[in-house]
Amino acid sequence: MSESDSAVNADSPTTPAPSFRGRGFRVFGLGWQDAIRYFFGGNASLAIILVLLICFFLIREGALFFPSHQRGLQDYRHAGQEFVDAVGEPIDAHTAFFSSANIAYFAEINESSREEDDLLRVARAVLANTEAACRKNWNLLKRKLGEVQEMDRALAGLDAADPARSDLAAKRETRLAEIAALRTILSSEVEAALAGPKVWKLGSDGRHLSSEDRERIREAVLFQASPDAKEEHPWLAGVGERSREKKKTAAAEFAAFKETLQGIQTAIRPMRTLHGELKKAASANRAAINRYQTAPARRAAMLEGAKKAQDPAEQARFQAEADQIVVEAPDLVAMNAPFYAAVPKQAELSAALLAEMRELREALPEKGSNARSRKALERSETLFDRFADTVDRSQRKAAKWRHERSVSAISSFTSFVFGKQWITNSSWHDFYGLLPLLTGSLLIAGIALAVCVPFSVAAAIYVNQLASRREQNFVKPAIEFIEAIPSVVLGFFGIVVFGEALRALSQVEWLSWVPGFPMNERLTILNAGLLLAFMAAPTIFTLVEDALENVPSALTENSLAMGASKLQTVFRVIVPASVSGLIAAILLGFGRIVGETMVVLLVAGNKIKIPDFSEGLGAIAQPAHTMTGIIAQELPEVDSGSLHWRALFIVGLVLFIIALAVNYAAQQVLKRFQRI
Amino acid sequence: MGNTADIAETAAPAEPASSDNPFAARGLGQRRRERAVALVLRLAAYAILGCGLYIFVDIIAKGAPVVFKASPPFVNTSFFTKSPETLMTFETDDGAFHKMDFADYTRFKNENPGRAIVEEHSHAYSGGGILGPLVGTALLTLICIVVAFCIGLTTSIYLNEYSSKGRFMDAIRLAIMNLAGVPSVVFGLFGLGLFCLVAPVITKTPQEGALFTLPILFTDHFLSFQGWGTCMLAGGFTLAVMILPVIITACEESLKAIPAGFREASLALGATKWQTIAKSVLPYAFPGMLTASVLGITRVAGETAPIMFTAALSHKDKLPWDLAIDPNLGALEKVEAGIGGFLSQSVQAMPYHIYTVAARIPQSEYTKPMQYGSVLVFLLLVMGFAGLSVFLRIHYRKKLKW
Amino acid sequence: MKPMMSEPEPQQTLSPIRKGGDPSTPPPEVVIEVDGVHFHYVKGRDILRGVSMEIRKGEVTAFIGPSGCGKTTLLRCFNRMNDLIPTAGISKGQIRILGTDIHHPKVDAIELRKHVGMVFQKYNPFPKSIYENVAYGLRIQGVRDRTKLDEAVEESLRSAGLWEEVKDRLDASGLGLSGGQQQRLCIARTIAVRPKIILMDEPCSALDPISTATVEELITRLKKEFTIVIVTHNMQQATRVSDRTAFFYLGELIEMDKTTTIFNNPAKRQTEDYISGRFG
Repeated sequence: MSESDSAVNADSPTTPAPSFRGRGFRVFGLGWQDAIRYFFGGNASLAIILVLLICFFLIREGALFFPSHQRGLQDYRHAGQEFVDAVGEPIDAHTAFFSSANIAYFAEINESSREEDDLLRVARAVLANTEAACRKNWNLLKRKLGEVQEMDRALAGLDAADPARSDLAAKRETRLAEIAALRTILSSEVEAALAGPKVWKLGSDGRHLSSEDRERIREAVLFQASPDAKEEHPWLAGVGERSREKKKTAAAEFAAFKETLQGIQTAIRPMRTLHGELKKAASANRAAINRYQTAPARRAAMLEGAKKAQDPAEQARFQAEADQIVVEAPDLVAMNAPFYAAVPKQAELSAALLAEMRELREALPEKGSNARSRKALERSETLFDRFADTVDRSQRKAAKWRHERSVSAISSFTSFVFGKQWITNSSWHDFYGLLPLLTGSLLIAGIALAVCVPFSVAAAIYVNQLASRREQNFVKPAIEFIEAIPSVVLGFFGIVVFGEALRALSQVEWLSWVPGFPMNERLTILNAGLLLAFMAAPTIFTLVEDALENVPSALTENSLAMGASKLQTVFRVIVPASVSGLIAAILLGFGRIVGETMVVLLVAGNKIKIPDFSEGLGAIAQPAHTMTGIIAQELPEVDSGSLHWRALFIVGLVLFIIALAVNYAAQQVLKRFQRI
Repeated sequence: MGNTADIAETAAPAEPASSDNPFAARGLGQRRRERAVALVLRLAAYAILGCGLYIFVDIIAKGAPVVFKASPPFVNTSFFTKSPETLMTFETDDGAFHKMDFADYTRFKNENPGRAIVEEHSHAYSGGGILGPLVGTALLTLICIVVAFCIGLTTSIYLNEYSSKGRFMDAIRLAIMNLAGVPSVVFGLFGLGLFCLVAPVITKTPQEGALFTLPILFTDHFLSFQGWGTCMLAGGFTLAVMILPVIITACEESLKAIPAGFREASLALGATKWQTIAKSVLPYAFPGMLTASVLGITRVAGETAPIMFTAALSHKDKLPWDLAIDPNLGALEKVEAGIGGFLSQSVQAMPYHIYTVAARIPQSEYTKPMQYGSVLVFLLLVMGFAGLSVFLRIHYRKKLKW
Repeated sequence: MKPMMSEPEPQQTLSPIRKGGDPSTPPPEVVIEVDGVHFHYVKGRDILRGVSMEIRKGEVTAFIGPSGCGKTTLLRCFNRMNDLIPTAGISKGQIRILGTDIHHPKVDAIELRKHVGMVFQKYNPFPKSIYENVAYGLRIQGVRDRTKLDEAVEESLRSAGLWEEVKDRLDASGLGLSGGQQQRLCIARTIAVRPKIILMDEPCSALDPISTATVEELITRLKKEFTIVIVTHNMQQATRVSDRTAFFYLGELIEMDKTTTIFNNPAKRQTEDYISGRFG
């Protein structure tokens, strides 16, 4: 210290007084310590920079989405595709109505032969099961039988004196021996497969087969499991025949119904034809518009080629091709003329269609004779109303439609946020609508939270308040371990084990009150929701446990001293006191669930469609797609910089905003209640 | 005061504490209800554990036969020394059933030209082993931890030792908190946007699509903002960004656990701030930070979404260190090309491999061993690290007390 | 109450230890009897060593003594708050409240605490409204009748001298009150369930002098209805509020007598040294 300071204290004669100035070099007034400080500070500010960078890159890649989306929508309108889709709406509604009525019809027909069909179904299932179990030997046996046949043919063609003959005959003998051995193995295999208790339950609709029928089925299967069975077992054939007979009788009985159905099918034909014609025109229009838009670029590429080409002939060819590319704007008015011309015809057809359909609906049976057909008929009632509305609306839409109306930037935004369709790589038009993904994500998150919150909060209360220390020391690390299970492993588990188990569980009769049960699909919203619930449980557990831990122990003591029992203390004092932490935990858990990718990608079924809520909560038995899933699935496959790519980045931006909002809300909740 | 009478009455009998016990338990129904409620709460806790246990048992039961075997060395070595391959199953005309990897299959066909092959099926990614994915995951995790730990350590030192309360600090804390809540797939998008497409590289021949290029003075190289492409470096950095909040929070916590007295004593002896931190804070905080980074590994190794777009590949023949380097280059250039080439290749990774075999290939009974084997190894790895972090935490908490 | 004070003492100040099984009926005015109690937090290390005493109905009894002498421990024995510490327990002796051995297996600690209330050193209202704080004890006893609750809350708050201050904001959070008010709220909460005994563990140590005076005045008022045991570090406080004083030292009861006697004419040397400030 003294060395550098001596200059300052030069005039002090003897011992330099201690100076408390810092030592060391300084650059721009910054010392070594400051440099260290700023180095650390710089690193710390990286966190802020990263958040900003995430925003920046999501916006950078996504920002151009809305203008190009707007352009795409404009083209959609200019080409008349919008008009065509409006005309096509009643056709889809009609199909929905028709298929529901059709279901009712077949329910009637099939009801007549239900017993026989059940028998057949069980028999076939048992047969298939047996076949699957014995497939290998079965195939082997078939092959060997074929070989023997071939040998027989060869033997027939050979002279008795041919030396090859005895050789072949010997070979045939060994084959036959092998076949005999295989037959014994196979029959014992069939017996073993039949003994499996599972197969008899298949498809029996809750009704049990009579032991007589079981024996018959067994017989039939044994008969047919032999590879030389050329025809069906007579009993089985008889059952089939009876079923067909009954169906025929029923068909005669419901002939009027059938006729009505055919009428319904033919009624839509004119509309279909019109739609098809218009669609062709619109497709051509869109192609022309696309050609026009890409023309400058293609032309430039040709000219570039001409410039680079060495051979003058080739140069000329390039030049000629470039000149051929038309850069003239397509005549929109002329292009869309057929659509305007079609409006009166469409109106006429609509009116006729509606009138005819009304009549046909009257001709439908009032009520079904069995549960299935009743349900289907009821459904077709509502579907008819929907159809009628759609016809009306489509007609109005078509009449109002103008191709020259421009698409606003706002509608580019709204058609993304509220769009009901996400259709990409389509030859008609790509739709980017967020709603199917958003509903999928939220529905899954809702199920996950509904299942996970009670469990994890209860577990946290138990572990923090009631468990002994020893139990705590066991349960807490165990739950931490569960938290460490990678989500892809959970997804894998869902796809190979849980999906099937859940479907099997959903077939159980006394669980049929659960919405969506019994389920047909393996990969569903419910499956994903339950797995996510399991995944989020440790997160919520830990956060809630922390919140409970932070309640001052004096409150417990006070409450106990008042003569409250432990549980009264927990539920009247501790839980209310930690309610902010509880809400924050649930919010953060929600954020984690919505942002989870792998589980939903693997397990949710990846069907891009808004779940059909017509059966209420039963929608959870359907597959869905999610925001995270769509990014993970589609991003690796699209060209960078394309509209589709940008759309995925915008979806990512939506996720980011949701995450920030959830975080912000959690912090606000904590802050508001912090006083207590 | 009705109480006075009460006292006189209840206190009178000589008999202590049985029949006329004023403090006898009352409301037995209520008590029973309480016990039932406690039981329900307890069952909820064990239900969670039970689900976890079921998953473990299922995976171990089905995966163990693939990974382990009954005879020494008790581990299926080929599963760990081969990379994923296509599995072929077929039957020969004598009815024998064969199952082999594609390379073996080709050899088999060459060796037995006369044998007719029937019922031939190929099962993608179901043969071979998991060497490639294991190596890839290790490399990605290593890069990620090195990067995240450096940034996380310095950030936490700043937050805990240097900063004073203020707007800057609040902003940093807010940023960290928000970073922690961002979905992993968004990190993937971010990594793709920044590291794969824009991040700067030093090169002699900048690409055309680069955002912009800066010539580096006095050399013939350029700093080209063209992105690193899909490679392990980009993946590692993306993962690092993702776990940064975890590392920062954990490091900060271990710094906070150092009593202020340590710092004051050091400062009082005339040490500078940096000396204090380096000599009397960091050495004691280090164990905690180690735990934090192990915890970070647990999180990172399991992530799939961030590396999907930035680093992972489902099939790759070579291991990352099998590089083809032009032998004509000078020694220094060779090193340069080696490092550059090494870091700029994509890798297979365990989670991505599991995703591939679980969902992107047609399922058959022959894909099951590969699926369960990979999942088991992966789960054991991740659980091993999780266990290590729990162990370290308990160990150091016991050991270091002041 | 006065006459009771002037009554001749039924036993000597330091009563001979009445062994556990003594069948004789305790005189009705004795509410708590402590018989040779040894208490430990960790087995083998007794914190209290052979403490015996009697606490009488309608009196304020003060426990004084230096830190760590076991006075708070004994106080917490009276309503079995020490049960919360897993390793703690009574190794020898008996505590009888209202003639009942409180560690008898048939005694329920929760029922006991309903009769023996406690006020803590650090006031700790629940994070609820003032009304709910006071009604808490009744609610956990299953009282749902709104009018009953209203009455009890008003009466308790009046007894605690808090009614006039808070009657307009019963729905406000209890945490919004001042320190002294919060402590009085805690006292109101305790007396709302009409316990027979109120234990106070240094109730004024966290309060400023003015609030202390209010609380002390409250204690003097409450002794008409409740038997009060108070632990205090403040000897002036002991002289101001208590009728009888017990002096503890190193886990033993050194002396217990009328407060005036203890402070003016202590029988033991240690008591005198402590009171005159020579140690502690």
